[in-house]
Order: sequence, then structure tokens, then C-alpha cells
Amino acid sequence: MGKYILKRLLWMIVIILGTSFIIFTILYFTPGDPARLIAGGNATAEDVENLRHIMGLDKSYIQQLGEYFSDTFLHFDLGTSWVYNKPVVDEMLVRLPRTVIIGLSAMVLNLALGLLMGIFAATHEGKWQDSLTMGIAMVFISCPDFWVALMLILLFSAKLGWLPAYGIGGPQYYVMPIICSALGGIAVNARQTRASMLGVFREDYITTARAKGQREKKVVFRHMLPNALMPIITSIGAGFARIVAGSAVIESVFSVPGIGLYLLTAINSRDYPVVRSCVLFFAVFTSVSMLIVDLVYAFVDPRIKAQYSSVRKGGQKK
Amino acid sequence: MIRRKKKGAYDQYIKSSKSSLFAETMQRIWENPGARVGIVLLAVIVLACLFAPLVAPYGVNDMDIQNMFAGPSAQHLCGTDGMGRDLFTRLLYGGRYSLALGLCAAIFGSVAGTIIGSVAGYFGGKTETLIMRIMDIWSSLPSILLCILISAVLGSGFFNTVLALSVGNVPIGVRLIRGQILAERSREYLEAAESIKCSKISIMFRHLLPNVVSPVIVDATMGIGMTITMAAALSYIGLGVQPPTPEWGAMLADARTHILNYPHLIMFPGLIIALTVLAINLIGDGLRDAMDPKLRK
Amino acid sequence: MSEKKEKFLSVRDLEVVYTSRKKIVQAVNKVSFDLHKGETLALVGETGAGKTTIAKAILGILPNPPSKVLGGEIQMEGEDLLRLPEEKMLEIRGKKIAMIFQDPMTALNPLMTVGEQIMEGLMLHNPYDKKQAEEKAKEMLEMVGIPAERWVEYPFEFSGGMKQRVVIAMALACNPLLLLADEPTTALDVTIQAQVLDLIKELKDKYETSMILITHDLGVVAETSDKVAVVYAGKIIEYGDKKDIFLHPSHPYTQGLFASLPSMNAGEKRLRPIPGTLPDPTALPKGCAFAPRCPKATQECMGEIPNVKLGPDHSCCCCHLKQEG
Repeated sequence: MGKYILKRLLWMIVIILGTSFIIFTILYFTPGDPARLIAGGNATAEDVENLRHIMGLDKSYIQQLGEYFSDTFLHFDLGTSWVYNKPVVDEMLVRLPRTVIIGLSAMVLNLALGLLMGIFAATHEGKWQDSLTMGIAMVFISCPDFWVALMLILLFSAKLGWLPAYGIGGPQYYVMPIICSALGGIAVNARQTRASMLGVFREDYITTARAKGQREKKVVFRHMLPNALMPIITSIGAGFARIVAGSAVIESVFSVPGIGLYLLTAINSRDYPVVRSCVLFFAVFTSVSMLIVDLVYAFVDPRIKAQYSSVRKGGQKK
Repeated sequence: MIRRKKKGAYDQYIKSSKSSLFAETMQRIWENPGARVGIVLLAVIVLACLFAPLVAPYGVNDMDIQNMFAGPSAQHLCGTDGMGRDLFTRLLYGGRYSLALGLCAAIFGSVAGTIIGSVAGYFGGKTETLIMRIMDIWSSLPSILLCILISAVLGSGFFNTVLALSVGNVPIGVRLIRGQILAERSREYLEAAESIKCSKISIMFRHLLPNVVSPVIVDATMGIGMTITMAAALSYIGLGVQPPTPEWGAMLADARTHILNYPHLIMFPGLIIALTVLAINLIGDGLRDAMDPKLRK
Repeated sequence: MSEKKEKFLSVRDLEVVYTSRKKIVQAVNKVSFDLHKGETLALVGETGAGKTTIAKAILGILPNPPSKVLGGEIQMEGEDLLRLPEEKMLEIRGKKIAMIFQDPMTALNPLMTVGEQIMEGLMLHNPYDKKQAEEKAKEMLEMVGIPAERWVEYPFEFSGGMKQRVVIAMALACNPLLLLADEPTTALDVTIQAQVLDLIKELKDKYETSMILITHDLGVVAETSDKVAVVYAGKIIEYGDKKDIFLHPSHPYTQGLFASLPSMNAGEKRLRPIPGTLPDPTALPKGCAFAPRCPKATQECMGEIPNVKLGPDHSCCCCHLKQEG
């Protein structure tokens, strides 16, 4: 098991380095001069040249790449924002909790509701409850999340005045962003849970459990659900990453100053150190959540667990 | 002579069995009530957008100065925007962009994914390892983020946006196809094809792909819906297709400042996106059920 | 000899249908039989004849939307199982009636240790605490020939034959009065089949359990059962002592079954299969369901089929037989 974790960690580092390299290269070759944009419309050519020097843009590609990698991965320095002239790390640390709180809460919400809906639909297969639940899921999947966000603002902020429409502050500011971030995931999880449950429904071991005299409720929760959850666990990591990455759009609608909005603003103002750092954050976040989920999966499923444990008793592997 | 004749007969056989399979699949989709609703809904939307000049009551840029920001009425079905342009008309014209974007990007991503994935799955070994590792890096960023970045780098415009939208879907297609091929690779009919000395390329395209392609078709169908949503999101945050082009997302972006005063400007574009995506998803669901070999009897 | 034993289970006119896509499938059609204490009844027939459905109906675990018990009764110890409330059935399932399934590969929950799975039934039906259940589970494992310390292992760590032993241990854990064995050896290697069969027989004799053995293997029938019921298209077409059936198979179908066995001494070069397949269960032919495949079929077979009594304990549904005695 230890060896497996180590291997995965090493591979994760390779992926993150690779992503950083690609992002840096893409940004480097993006047409347009960030220095001119940042210097402003009425800056002289000399001013721009000065700025280019300060920003390090006058160096060669290899030199810039080397400096970026050594700063980022050896000194853990994410650099300074070109636009605000402040360390990127400081700003990110301020914004990080907002994005993570929204992401985590949305994830919890979408797992909880998604599973409930999926189980409910599967246990009522073919009846109207099933059609209704799956119909709702279908609508959730089909509505663009940012549009739902706008509609919620119209209803709860403009019409009812219950919730603030923009910015960040107390818990009430988080309600709508969390709901909107969770919506699509709820539907995906509900559909997947239902399909998975129905697959398990027909398994022989479910009949075995019934034949033992086990109550239907216990059959569902002790035998069906754990088996049905296995494929869902594998998708949690990607789902979480998708929610956090989707924060760019949701944060933009609600003007939540999080990492996603930071990235968008930086893209528009060509603030490359910020862009690179934010992308790095998302890459690390994605990789780590995938890794954690894979480890959890390996731990929960005895079949996978056995593959990675070195000590094995007799018995056939399959 | 005889040989050619035989080959012709064989081709005919293949063709007839294929077309009957296709017809059967269509039949099964039509039998699914959800999919039927989806097909009708999508057909109405697509036709209306396609024949927008005939259907639309006004010109796409006609301004009605007396009726700026007008709410829905008999005269203007969905109201008008800030320049007095008829919203319903613009939605129809905008649908051309949104639908084309979704369709092109989904096809582009799936085709690229299928080709790369089948190369990886069929050749195996180092080729496969290399491709899959590249895909790991490729998908280390969620597709919406990748899309935002690429779009920012390439700039706006239809084809740049198509490229940006499809890039994120490639690794998904690659994984899907490779998984299918891995499962299929050990089957005996491939050995049979190899034993009569079919070339690798011909085995791959004539024998393997037809057997693994159905999940990709389902995935691509659902992908169209996803991509339309993503395209709209992209326009909304100021990338991708830009206003004044009447793309649905761009129309939403255009109207965001008026959300509190003129909600109809936000409501209708979003509603049409949701309806379109809903229709596509319903069809995708029907397609998946119809193509599921376990259900086919 | 069996008349002396008390009648234990009595199935009368059992009728089960499946509905699929608005078509009605007659899976079990007026089946009746009796089982005495300690006896083994073999249900013999082709795949799809309705044998498993009979067993599942007795245990009350037919999945309800597609399948439905239309009528009949299943009497056990003075109670009609078909009319018992679910609460009561929960107590009977696993305690008084247990089932062994066809495919041990899929009959065990892959995410629970075999010990937990045996304990589950034990704790449901006995006032055991965890420790006692654990002890008993280990004991059961030992009894079916698996070292007790393997109770913490998961099903995937066992071979097919071993898994079937676990399933048997699970079924017998609560000393059931009736064991329903649904093709317990079909999915196993030939060498393992005999072992598992012997094990079932040995344990059954030890606990005086009655058994309904479902199989299509006449060799298994010869080895284990006392009574035989030949099932065809949801009907028992011939019923009798093992001796009667093996020595005087009377229904053309039963005769066909025996004729299709490879025989060692007769010097025949080819097997003689029964031509054709089971009839479409959604549209059973009128009269005798076997008539379309029957070499003796006549106009008579389209009418009412009598149940002819051939001996004290031997009956057969065929219109070409004359009542004896």
C-alpha cells in the first residue's frame, strides 16, 4: 500500500510540473504584450520597455521558464501580481477559504441529495416517484448553472430580498453560490446512483440476503448501497474538481472574490503570475482530490485493497 | 470473378444488417417517450433557428426605438432589448451560433478522442502508455477551466471557440474508447481477423471501431448539450463569442447589467438554452437505452 | 416407506406468472407436490422450465413487480406460506427454509467477509450476541471444510467450490427444516461437484433436513433424491419415487430425457437429443405443452390432459397412458 501511495505521489508531481510547463508556454506565446496593456494607453515606448524589464519579459523563453520553475517549485514563491504589485500568495490565501467553503459545501450537498434522490428513484423503479425524481434530475442537468444563479438572484434578492445578490460576508452570502455549484452534480450523482443501484438490484447476493430473512430496508442499506456506491466513489474526485473549477463562472455571477474570479480577472488583465498561480492551484487541487478518492476507494474495496497489500494469504485472485 | 461476386454479396450482407440495426435503434429510440419528446422539441428548435429569416417576425438588427426594453407582448413575443431589437428574433438567429458551436465542438472532440483512443487501445505497449500519460496531464485541469484558458489565449471567434470547447472533451473520449477496446481486444473475432491476415489498420477501422463506437455516440450526444451550456458560460464571462453577435450566452452577458430592471432579457435566453440542452439530453438517454446490448433482444 | 413419515410440505395448484412488456408468461402452472420429513425431492427439467420459480415462490422471494403468484397454496407445518404476512415470512426465511443458489460466484456479497455473511443470518434468527455468532460462524465453516481462521476473508479470496461451501454453511447455519438447493453444482468443476454434493447430503442427513433439489442432471438425481418431479413448461408432468421414474419413465418427455443420456454399454454411437426447444412461455400450446416435440403426439393431445396414477406414488400427465390398479 505504501509503495502504491508513493508511486501515485510521484506521478502527481510529474503531472503538476507538466501542467505548469504547458501553461507557462501557452501564456508566453500568447499574442499581445502584457507590459503594454498594464502600462496603460498613454504610456511611452520607454515606459513600456522599463516595465518589460521589471516584469522580466525581456529575457529569453528558457531563462524565464527556468526562473519561473525555480521560484515556484524550489522557493515556493508564486511571484508578484503585475497589476496590483502585491504577492500573489497573500491574495490567494485570503480568497482560498471562500472558494473551498463553497466547493466543499456544494460537494456535501450534491452527494447527500444526489444519493438520496438516486436511492429513492431506484427503490421506486418504474413508479411515478422514479419518473418524478429523474425528471427533476434531468432538468437540473439541463439548466446552465450560471443562468440558475441569475434566476435565483432575481427571486431571492430582487423579489423577496432574502439573500444578498453580490459579494461576500456572512453565511447568507454563501447560500446561493453553494446551491448553484451543487445543482449539476446533484443530478449527475442521482442518475448515477440510480443506475448503479438498479445494476446491483439484480445481483444474486441480494437474493441471498433476502433468502436469509433480512428485512428489505436492511437489504437495501447493508447489501445494495455499499456495492452501488463503489462506482460513485470513483467519480467524487473528478466531481469535486469540476465544482471548484466551475467556481470561476459562479463566482463571477455572484461577484464572490474567490480563486475563480481572481483567475478570470487576471486573464482579462493579462496578469500572468496570477493566472499561472491560480491554474497551478486548480491542477494541484484536482490531482490531490483524485488521489485521495483513489486511496479511499482502494481502502474501501477489499478487492482493490488486496492488489496493493504485499502480504497475501492463499486463495485465488480474480 | 467468383470472388468478386462473393465479396459483393458479403458487403451487401454487412450493409443490410447494418441498416436494419440502425433502423432498429431508431425504432427503439422512438418508442422511448422521453426521447420522443426530446426529438420533437429539438426538431422544432433546430428548424426554427435554421429557417430564422422565414420564421422570425423582424430582422435580426431591426430596432424599434419606441419599444426599448419592452416586456413580452403580442407584438414582441419575448420582448425587446435595450436597442429595441426583438428578442425572439435574436434568439432564433442566436440559436444558429449556439447549436453550431455545440455540434462542431462535440463532433470535433469525439472524433479526436476516438482516433487517439483507438490508436492507444489497439497498439498498446509504449504507444498506449505515452498517450495515456499525456491524457493524464491533459485532464489534470477540469474541462471548463481548460476551455477558459484556451479561449483566452486564442481569442474570440467561432473556430477558436470550437477548439476551446472541444479540447476538454478529448481525454474523456480517449479514455472511453480505450476502455472499450481493451475489453474488446481479447475477443476472438479479432484473432480470427488477424488469422486471415487483415492489416492492423483494417482490423482497427473495420472490425474494432464499429464494435466500440456506441458509447462514444451516446457520449457525444450528451456532449452537445454540455458544450452548448459551456459555450454560453464562456460568452457570459466575456470570452468566446462576443456580443453583439446574438449567441445565447452572449445575449445573457449583454443583459446582465439589466437583470434587476428587465428580467425578461435574462429569462428567455436561459430558458431556450435549458430547453435545447434538455431535448438533447433526453435524446441521449434514449440513445443509450436503445444501444445497450443488454436490453436489445 | 415414506408414507410412515409425516407430510411436511404440501404445494397445491401453485400458479406464478411473469409480466414483461405487457406480455404474460405462465412460469408455473398448477404445480402440486408433497414432501415428507427428511426426504429429498428432485425437480428435474430444462433451463427455463420454471424450477427456480417454484423454489423462490416457496421462500416468498419472487421479485414482485415482474412476477406474481396467482393462486394455490403452500402448506408447511399447518400454515399457508403464501398467505402469511411478510413479518412472519421474515422469520421463516433463513431459519426454517434456506436456499443454496446456483452460482456461488455471484451469490456472496463481495464487500462483506464470509464470516459476516454467515453471522448475518445467525444473528437474525437466534438470540446470539456478536461473539456467539462469530463462534457459530467459525464452527459452520469448519463443518463445510473451510479452516475457521478464513472467516475474515472476502469472497474473492475463495475459489468457486470454496464459495459454494460458504453458501452451504450460510444456508445451514440456522438448521433449517427445508433446504432449497437450486442447481448447487452446475457452476462448479466436475471434480468439485461430487465433493459439494456429498457435503450437502451428509449435512442434510445429519440434521434431518428435507430438501428440494433443482437440477437438470439426472446423475445428480440418482445420487441424492428420494422423489422425482419432472417439470416441463411450468408443469409437473411426471412425479414418482426415484425407482419408478428411473425404471419406468412413462411420459414421453421423461423417456426422452433418459434416452438423451450417453450410455456406456448400449453400444450406441450417437446421442438422441429431444428435438426442438421449450415452447414460447407467452403462448403455450393448448393441451399438452410437450405435444409439438412429442413423437407420440396425436389429436388427443390438444384436449384436456389427465393426470394418470400409475402406482401408489407415481403419476404422469399424458393422455397416452392407461390408469393402472
